[in-house]
Amino acid sequence: MFDLLKEYFDQGRISVDPTRHTMSATIHDPCNYVRKSQKAFGVHYGDMIRWLAAQCCPNMVEMCDDPLNNYCCGNGGGAQVMPNDTERLAHGQYKAAQIKATGAELVISPCHNCRDQIMKFLAKQCDMGNYKETKYLWEVISDSLVYEPWSDAEIEAAHTARDEQFEGFGVELEEME
Amino acid sequence: MALSNQADPTAEVQPATGDRLHRRVALSPELADRCYACGTCVGSCPASDSVPGWDARKAIRALALGLEDEVVDSKWPWVCTMCGRCEYNCPQGVELTKTFRACRGQRERDKVPGTLQQGILMNLERGNNFGIPQEDYLQLLAELGVELEDDPEQPCPGFYVPVDKVGANLLVTINARVPYTEPDNLKWWWRIFYAAREDWTLPSVNWDGVNWALYTGDDASMKIGVERIIENARRLQVRSILYPE
Repeated sequence: MFDLLKEYFDQGRISVDPTRHTMSATIHDPCNYVRKSQKAFGVHYGDMIRWLAAQCCPNMVEMCDDPLNNYCCGNGGGAQVMPNDTERLAHGQYKAAQIKATGAELVISPCHNCRDQIMKFLAKQCDMGNYKETKYLWEVISDSLVYEPWSDAEIEAAHTARDEQFEGFGVELEEME
Repeated sequence: MALSNQADPTAEVQPATGDRLHRRVALSPELADRCYACGTCVGSCPASDSVPGWDARKAIRALALGLEDEVVDSKWPWVCTMCGRCEYNCPQGVELTKTFRACRGQRERDKVPGTLQQGILMNLERGNNFGIPQEDYLQLLAELGVELEDDPEQPCPGFYVPVDKVGANLLVTINARVPYTEPDNLKWWWRIFYAAREDWTLPSVNWDGVNWALYTGDDASMKIGVERIIENARRLQVRSILYPE
């Protein structure tokens, strides 16, 4: 998905406003997209994640010496749906300490498990200094988008396609309009 | 038989008896030569103090000695988050995450912790971890689409959620937790697709991109889940699959 987002930027298909996330921000590296991607595919997305975030966030700070060496948040391997709260906290304390040390207000976490761990678990149990919120990378980009308005023709074509589609599925749209 | 981690002078240490003939985790015999118990894995691992009596080094050592039951029955393979920091730093190239996942896979399915196994069975039966019926799923997509189009702060005129669109560029999967608990969170990606004028689609069935069989070491179930997504991609003749999990 990072390749896709980079493509959108490179091709000028999306543009973002970098004045919406001026707070100090740091990247949490999801194990699967960085360290384990390197292991499995010989490439990792640590640098690309940072490039994408930097398009939106002018005030980035690093929590670790190297994306490949970053700590796991503690919620991997299905931890969230197992009775592992004690272990998740013990594991997550290292992540919390990293976040606190950066002084960042925003943690950017491009993974559902990681974001939940940091936002819903660690934030409530640990002192993370200036920490205020966690956002997915795609959430940051989405919130920063500058839209190029669709033409009337595009809108009309979309409405036609939509109505045909949901009618075919037997979904009542009229009630909602 | 419990392996003692901390020094408890009163604990009786039983002799270890490993069954090397009937290995289940099937660790390569060369491992006994490769891992020299340096402990770099433990030094790298944030879960090192989480499970009394266990850490990465102990677990690998136990497996190399044929003490498989002890590892498989312990909490260790399930507390390890498979983050790979151990093997990233291992000077001998020992593949710890693969090994611990194999330990997970050796457990009886009714002893898999938490709701992982239930979620897998639900996904196999209904096409998503939470058993959301297709009718509800489609209704939700229609409603969210209208909501996004008419969003009071940042409307997206012309937006709707394509479903089963043949020939689309992208087939997109969804983390079932999102429509189930935080449906508004679907809109972030949707806004990006809208702004980029992407030609995308969701599938009407088997739309859950989450594969808990990855976590439980269940390759057979994992394969079914993946095959279904690929089947969707072939059926809809898309160019690429996007897993935004």
